[in-house]
Amino acid sequence: MKYLLPLCIILILPPVASADWKERFEKEFLTRPWAGAQVEKDVCLECHSSEMMKPEARDIPRKWETSWHHQNGISCHNCHGGDPKDVENAMSPQRGYVGIPKNTQVPEFCGKCHRGILKNFLESGHGKALKSSGKGPNCVTCHGSHNVQKATINLINEPLCAKCHSYERVKIMRQALLVTENKMSQIEKGLTELKAQGVYTEEEQKTFFNTQAAFRTLFHTEDVSMVKRRTDEFIHQLNDLQGRNQKTFEELRFRKNFSAFLMLLFTGMGIGFLMFSRSPKKK
Amino acid sequence: MWERIKNWLEIRVGLDELIKTHLTEYRIPKNINILYTLGFVALVAFLIQVVTGFFLMVYYIPYSGTAFRSVQEIMSTVPYGWLFRQIHVVGSSLMLVVVLLHTLAVFSMGSFKKPRELTWVVGTLMFFTTLAFCLSGYLLPWSQLSYWATTIATTLPTALPYAGDLVAGMMKGGEQVSGITLNRFFALHVVLLPLVISILVGLHLFLVRRVGISSPPSGKAAEPERPWTEYRHESHPEGPSFFPDFVLKEMIMVMVFLAVMFFIITFLPTLLLPEEANIPADPFKTPAHIKPEWYFLAPYQMLKIVPNKFLGVTLQLIFLLLFVLWPFLDTREEKDLLKRPYLRLLFFLSLILWIVFTFWGKYS
Repeated sequence: MKYLLPLCIILILPPVASADWKERFEKEFLTRPWAGAQVEKDVCLECHSSEMMKPEARDIPRKWETSWHHQNGISCHNCHGGDPKDVENAMSPQRGYVGIPKNTQVPEFCGKCHRGILKNFLESGHGKALKSSGKGPNCVTCHGSHNVQKATINLINEPLCAKCHSYERVKIMRQALLVTENKMSQIEKGLTELKAQGVYTEEEQKTFFNTQAAFRTLFHTEDVSMVKRRTDEFIHQLNDLQGRNQKTFEELRFRKNFSAFLMLLFTGMGIGFLMFSRSPKKK
Repeated sequence: MWERIKNWLEIRVGLDELIKTHLTEYRIPKNINILYTLGFVALVAFLIQVVTGFFLMVYYIPYSGTAFRSVQEIMSTVPYGWLFRQIHVVGSSLMLVVVLLHTLAVFSMGSFKKPRELTWVVGTLMFFTTLAFCLSGYLLPWSQLSYWATTIATTLPTALPYAGDLVAGMMKGGEQVSGITLNRFFALHVVLLPLVISILVGLHLFLVRRVGISSPPSGKAAEPERPWTEYRHESHPEGPSFFPDFVLKEMIMVMVFLAVMFFIITFLPTLLLPEEANIPADPFKTPAHIKPEWYFLAPYQMLKIVPNKFLGVTLQLIFLLLFVLWPFLDTREEKDLLKRPYLRLLFFLSLILWIVFTFWGKYS
């Protein structure tokens, strides 16, 4: 015990004497998100949230934060270009800034990423009307711009479609898509549940994503007969995926039962050992 | 047949005498309690890790391009691979819990005191080796969780002056955690650390057997200690036999350990394998809420709150040094923690601080 105090003093003195010695550690460790520090801010969001921005553009960051894009890590510069880390050059064309697209350019603007749908949309009545007259609907007419939500069949609804035309034909189209869409929701729910239970679902998710993306290109056509024709093909793929999910759920149930059996077995053995250790025969 | 084997062994190794000396006629203190079984439980936990680790190694591919995939194959395709991995993962954390409890029990009963200082030092080294096992094994699945938790853990030594960068560089094999780190950690995990811990376990058991099992300081039959002026084996001629009396107690605790392990595997399968454990490592995508494993949360949180990082690390090193050398610092003969209020205060304060820092680190 008598050595304790001198030992502590010897060890504590050098660090106290060299306070702030380790700047690099501060820089490399404490400025990272895991250390609880602030993540570097995006200058687009900073400016658009500030008082100097005109009121109609000030709400954009809030809308974007509720969007599907935000949930998937798609930020301002992914669509509009520019440099979100450099306030001086954030809107420089040299850094790829393209700004706000014109009405007729919106499909190509979104189609930089959503390529399959772009082709499909341009071949549709909506796309043709937009390109020929410049007045037809583009992507944001139905999906919105900054608060883009995950596309579902609910986007096809009477109030929205009836703004421009009658809902009768759309209704038939919606019915044709509905069965497949419901199946997809079930599969997606199943995959989310499996993932939460610790199952690696990447392969299934890729297959699902591809099937869903291919199916949703049909949403942008008005050809009901084509939708009906191709639905069988999608249903077949989705049934296969659903079957695989089902098998994985059964496997998880088996695992739970098996380990519960082992738990009970060892509990029983523990009780057995306890009783034996207290039995008069042993003594 | 059995008799013939026994006779064969009796002639060659003196089996009867061996059993009598080390098991049936080997006596333990009569007031021994259940906490004395924790060392054996830790040993069983280690053997479980060895067996499950061997089966995992058969299918695991220690290369950054394939490690994650091979672990997922073990979980989904290899027959009962999920069970071996879950036992290995849950077992490692439970082993650490048992080792911690064993250390606390030994400390609170003063069993580290003369002549068992060396047993304590070897025990603490085994504790550090277990932590090194956990750290090196954690990276091997090459998931986002393991990659970033390892990045944090390997960044901690950089707070050390002069040697910090060298230590971190030696661990990582470069500026970042990479495939080189994976290879280093794998080699450590399956070759060097098993060798080190086997030697330490052997030495620990030798010392326990050579010096004899210590008597608990309190209880219905606590005896006054005679001063240790020369080597002698602490025998307990009045006590119960090691086998079957004590072995039965040990087996009860091993069953409790296994039941707890399978309880976690059954009802909390994602406790140690959350969603991030199923995402392949991506060095370019830093998750916002990643934390080190639970056993590193206290030092991690301490480093975060101490304004001078060098001081933070030094305080931790002092704590570790005190922990290892405690038997040489605390030389008072009184073993019972209940009769030493200041030490009792220090013990509970340290324990509470560790728990507080762990939870603070988890939820900060």
